[in-house]
Amino acid sequence: MADGTPGPGLAATQRWMQAAILDPHAPGPYAPGDVLTASRRLSARERLHIHQQGYRLRLTECMRSLHPGSVHLLGREIFDGFALAYLEAHPSRSPTLTGLSGGFAGHLARTRPDAAPGAEREPWIDLLIDLVRFERAFTEVLDAPGPEDGTGGTPPLRLFRACAPVHTYFTEVRRGRDPEPPAPHPVRLAVTRRDHTVVTRELSRAAYDRLLHAHPEDAS
Amino acid sequence: MSEPRLGTPRLGFGAGLRTPHLPYIREHRPAVGFFEIISENFLGCHGGRRSALEEIADHYPVVLHGVSLSIGSTDPLDSGYLRRLKRLADDVDAPWVSDHVCWTGVLGINTHDLLPLPFTEETLAHVTDRARIVQDVLERPLILENPSSYVEFRASTLTEWEFLARLAEEADCGILLDVNNVHVSAYNHDFDPEAYLRALPHERVVQMHLAGHTDHGTHIIDTHDAPVAEPVWELYRTAVELTGGGAATLLERDDRLPPFPELMAELDRARAVADSVTAVTAGGGHG
Repeated sequence: MADGTPGPGLAATQRWMQAAILDPHAPGPYAPGDVLTASRRLSARERLHIHQQGYRLRLTECMRSLHPGSVHLLGREIFDGFALAYLEAHPSRSPTLTGLSGGFAGHLARTRPDAAPGAEREPWIDLLIDLVRFERAFTEVLDAPGPEDGTGGTPPLRLFRACAPVHTYFTEVRRGRDPEPPAPHPVRLAVTRRDHTVVTRELSRAAYDRLLHAHPEDAS
Repeated sequence: MSEPRLGTPRLGFGAGLRTPHLPYIREHRPAVGFFEIISENFLGCHGGRRSALEEIADHYPVVLHGVSLSIGSTDPLDSGYLRRLKRLADDVDAPWVSDHVCWTGVLGINTHDLLPLPFTEETLAHVTDRARIVQDVLERPLILENPSSYVEFRASTLTEWEFLARLAEEADCGILLDVNNVHVSAYNHDFDPEAYLRALPHERVVQMHLAGHTDHGTHIIDTHDAPVAEPVWELYRTAVELTGGGAATLLERDDRLPPFPELMAELDRARAVADSVTAVTAGGGHG
């Protein structure tokens, strides 16, 4: 039961609780029992743990829904580990969940485990990063303004180069199949939308360069 | 005394609009009174989902239900978010906009969790001021929902129902009474859910939510992934009796979505409960 014990004030309470949720192991200015009550069945710490656990479950589930191909590539447990490390380094600042993974590819590129001096470059990490980039482009193109609903003059477009045909791998996963990881084979891709459906085209070097010259802002 | 339900229209019985159900709804136009959308799913969203929403808004009333207003946060209100919310509400001609009595983050962070507030005079004054501002920006009623909660603050000097009642009166806003959340929080915090319902200003209850939950023994979590539980149906009957039957009722389901007709059957049960209460009330009035 609440006992009306004077607390640290609303702002300080919120800063404490958010910090405790984002990093449960960090030492804070208050113990859970200083701020929260116990129930008949749970201690204050156990009750706080419901929020700490719920935060991670909810956001990793969202990350999985945004990156089904990457989940298939890595397996759920390893994907969740990468996603949680990303969320720990980059807590969401967006009111919407679709923006949640906007910095995921960049985070992976900055923290790749083979970046240590003298380490041998691991091709699967290049594949993962390019697949994450493709999945992000897919989400952005799907929801971008476009001519179908009169909110854009031309169809949305994202251009990028990948170390392997990540688009075919992603499509197979979305169709419920179980594809093998694609072999290294550099591709140039245009991701666009037609009649509300995201369409990906593999481009020749010349076609890619022409489009990139005409639409430099659409390079991913 | 204010006009009942802030002068909002009677929308009857509705369902949450979820993407997997869009093809069925567009093809069959099921007989529901209204749809509720999660506002954030459509902010900045164009393309197919947005077109589907506009088509549905041409045939049904649509109300907005948000999860990122963060009305209780000590961060400043996000004016960009409010502008986009207003635009979306205008686009679908929403009669009201709802969100939760909670905060979702501070220092610019969004945890995407509906975090509980200490129920103090300080919090009440803070949330009341912000609710008034939000209503002014949105130019339509703001309806605030009681969230489910898993922790309580030692510093609280008000009960949740006292806080909600005073907030609604002092901010002149509406209440979205989530009946499942009353049940969940009553279990988690050992209070009498019927006393909670009786204490609210019933003329301010604009909408009610019904949803399923998961019982973990030591606590219940509001998971929205199962049919409405029997104790919640009992509470719903009490809520309809107390509010007089005019509030809109919405069935929330976010996970383990069944085919839409199964949701319709559950909505029919809500309609039957409300009809039976109205019949008893009308009968009593003539007796």
